[in-house]
Amino acid sequence: MNMLAQLPASLWNDETAAHLLNRARFGATPAEIDSARKKGLVAMVRELVDVRADAGNVPPPAWAKPRNIRAARMALKAAKERGENFRETARQFRVMEGDEILDLRRWWLERMMNSPAPLLEKMTLFWHGHFATSVQKVKDGYWMWLQNDTLRRNALGNFATLVKAISRDPAMMIYLDLQQNREAHPNENWARELMELFTVGIGNYSEDDIRAAARAFTGYRIDMTTQQFRFARMEQDLGTKKFMGHTGPLNGDNVIDILVRQPACSRFISRKLWRFFVEDEPSQEIVDAIASRIRAHNFEMRPVLREIFSSAEFYSDRAMGTQIKSPLQYIVQTSKLLETQLPSPIVVQNAMRQMGQILFAPPNVKGWDGGKDWITTSTLLFRYNFANYLISGDAMLPAGQAARAKPQDAGLRQSVQRRQLAEQIKRDPIDVSKFVPDPLRDKPHQLVDLLSGRFFRTRLAEKETNTFVQFLESRKPDTSDATMRELVHLMMSTPKFQLA
Amino acid sequence: MKTKNTLQTRREFLRTSMLGAAATWTLPVFLEKTFFALDAIAANAVTQTATGKDGTILVVLQLAGGNDGLNTVVPYADDAYHRARPRLALPDEQILTIDHHVGLNPKLAGLKSLYEEGHLAIVQGVGYPNPNRSHFRSTEIWQTASDADRNETHGWLGRYFDNCCSGADPTIGVAIGEEMPQAFAAKNSTGITFSRPEQFRWRASASNTGHMSTEEIFFRQLNGFDEENTPAATDGASIGTLPGTSKSDLSTLDFLQRTALDAQLSSDKILAIARKYKSTIPYPQGQLAASLNIIARMIAGGLTTRVYYASHGGFDTHAGQFNTHGRLMTELNDTIAAFVADLKQQGNFERVLLITFSEFGRRVAENANGGTDHGTAAPMFVLGGRVKPGLFGKHPSLTELDDGDLKFNTDFRSVYGTVLDSWLNTPSQIVLGRKFPSLAIL
Repeated sequence: MNMLAQLPASLWNDETAAHLLNRARFGATPAEIDSARKKGLVAMVRELVDVRADAGNVPPPAWAKPRNIRAARMALKAAKERGENFRETARQFRVMEGDEILDLRRWWLERMMNSPAPLLEKMTLFWHGHFATSVQKVKDGYWMWLQNDTLRRNALGNFATLVKAISRDPAMMIYLDLQQNREAHPNENWARELMELFTVGIGNYSEDDIRAAARAFTGYRIDMTTQQFRFARMEQDLGTKKFMGHTGPLNGDNVIDILVRQPACSRFISRKLWRFFVEDEPSQEIVDAIASRIRAHNFEMRPVLREIFSSAEFYSDRAMGTQIKSPLQYIVQTSKLLETQLPSPIVVQNAMRQMGQILFAPPNVKGWDGGKDWITTSTLLFRYNFANYLISGDAMLPAGQAARAKPQDAGLRQSVQRRQLAEQIKRDPIDVSKFVPDPLRDKPHQLVDLLSGRFFRTRLAEKETNTFVQFLESRKPDTSDATMRELVHLMMSTPKFQLA
Repeated sequence: MKTKNTLQTRREFLRTSMLGAAATWTLPVFLEKTFFALDAIAANAVTQTATGKDGTILVVLQLAGGNDGLNTVVPYADDAYHRARPRLALPDEQILTIDHHVGLNPKLAGLKSLYEEGHLAIVQGVGYPNPNRSHFRSTEIWQTASDADRNETHGWLGRYFDNCCSGADPTIGVAIGEEMPQAFAAKNSTGITFSRPEQFRWRASASNTGHMSTEEIFFRQLNGFDEENTPAATDGASIGTLPGTSKSDLSTLDFLQRTALDAQLSSDKILAIARKYKSTIPYPQGQLAASLNIIARMIAGGLTTRVYYASHGGFDTHAGQFNTHGRLMTELNDTIAAFVADLKQQGNFERVLLITFSEFGRRVAENANGGTDHGTAAPMFVLGGRVKPGLFGKHPSLTELDDGDLKFNTDFRSVYGTVLDSWLNTPSQIVLGRKFPSLAIL
């Protein structure tokens, strides 16, 4: 059975078009869905996939420049040893780090919202979860930007190239202690995670393989005066290694090539891709089918994604409207559907934290598992209340608790922070006329149908539709903006709104 | 392919035979007419585990930042202590002595009284092999109870919930704060988090008048309080699950709907309790006291929670420690004293066990800024109406150090294991992955 036969043209409609835009992008408005439907499956897939790695041409944040870290650290150390109050400088460093990461999150979220190549951003997010690295250990905004840039450049390209680039990425090297790997004392952290988490998966390598790989990756260093990767040739272990049936003076790139050629690698990546884009529990058949295409395309992501997004399997009943939106998907898609701006960075950062997906700070090396993990009673209530904030600007809690930044320092600074926070939390209610046509305001059934089509990807039960209609009828003759906003809030305060 | 377990409709529930005298709960008014139907075995298992109402309760208090153990449980008689800390060593005459070697920080008078009453166990030298001195990593190690060289995603309490309490009310674990602690992370995620009980609720768009606005009525209809085709509403002990079904086995939509219903019911229960129960015991100011006060009120109100979690920060005293740590100790002492008094007044002191932990202690020697840097082993407090009091474990040597840091004597998982086995009645081996030597604290 050919699992990846193309979706028949007769099945291409608003629903399948919406499904494609939800999964390959961060959602779409009815107008965008209509436009996609008109373009047709093939053209739409090409439009999404065949984008350049530098599409969007967005410059890095202004502060994202390398610094001479060694000099800075030595200065701090000297001050400490002199007994000076270096703590103020150190604190300023930390505040700066905090500000930089906040701004980096804003920068990336804006790309997710506005990029002409949204699949590129979505794939970058996929790889960010795959090559999980956290600023909590890396402690530097520039390095986190640099890794993001590396991921984006290779997101739709060749997987082996991507892994090699990541092996030289300073943030990753710090996160997995690769720069501490020495011939005399090999550090196996990177070698193990390279196999377990990035390529072949657990059970497909031996402890001997890990030791051999650790030896192969010696010499990888970071130049602390330029914050760039450098190769310390003198520290490289050039001896013969035995790795997965290959023998020779293998280096890091050799190891990666060998790993990527393992069938287990194609299956590992296949499963991850399908879980991210399609459904939580892929069948073994689809995993094998995609794996086979990954190998056939020599691990080039663009053709693989073209096949996935064109396949009938992608549009199966099991897949459509059954994926719980990740926090990032939730934030971006909801903002789009409301035809409004993203909230201020500090609010979004807090929302990411409360929903369990903070950009640049995955909880651990395994990234985000997703699916049902996104939903607890607390996160669900938060999503409902956050929707209220997006719609009405209602900050949910007194004294701006909705967006409380962790106080950097007690005392006077805090009152300044509170004032700044209050400014950032303020948000105007949305303009409902952008998607509520005036003539329909007093026609509950039609209005509910129209808005359901916009906000839900799963069919509503009759009961649910009736509840929305009853709500509107209970408000008659009030068809004000406030009532419209309450209706939208009700729609978003449902289990089905969590699905894409 | 997993079979999808669909939730029974309310009508089916009413049709099936009802369980006989189950524990009586405080029911929100609009749920009074519903029943929950479980077969006897499941009911037994569920009431056994979920009945925080009459069963034992664990309160975990995290001191975040790395509390200085040496100035908390002070080895005042050891010259090395005074030599290493010319500025920070606490004067002998102020120490609240426990025995000839150690005593408590002068601000911990309340804990000293508890000790004398026989309600406080002090476990000395608690740590783990290959200690990590990073806040994040070491906190993760304590939360997941993993070995230092492994990465565990799920928390020790999460694994406890997975093993004992599947199908139980999500209020089985309650964390006071903004984020779910990693200790609660579980395969079948459960537990709720809030900073204030009034805030754990759905907020209608219209301004909140305190009464159920009409919008809220529609909201409830959309989230499971409906006659047909929705999960049956119950009081919350086990909401419509078939025995043994974990939430993770449900289809995605069923899972969402079940969670929505759980959220509503938990929220109602918590709000009802918060409105009804206020403490008459005065608590000190501050976030820590506010957290424990909420916990005390939830206990008073009969919330069926097994494990409460609270966290208090500020312990990362790298500089100017003397006054800061003194304030922290005062806050800790006064808060615990109030909490204990509150529980005693409620008659619930015997049911509660409170343990404190910190991600690490601090170095033996003070630094050049009147503070201390990240260290390793430190003491844990274990207190409650049924604790076996005393000093446990060995105090680490202040001279035979590990690169300037104390060597641990008791693995923290021994404390966890003892609590799991003897207080939560669950085999610690399953939760922790292996058996650790138990302590005679319970």
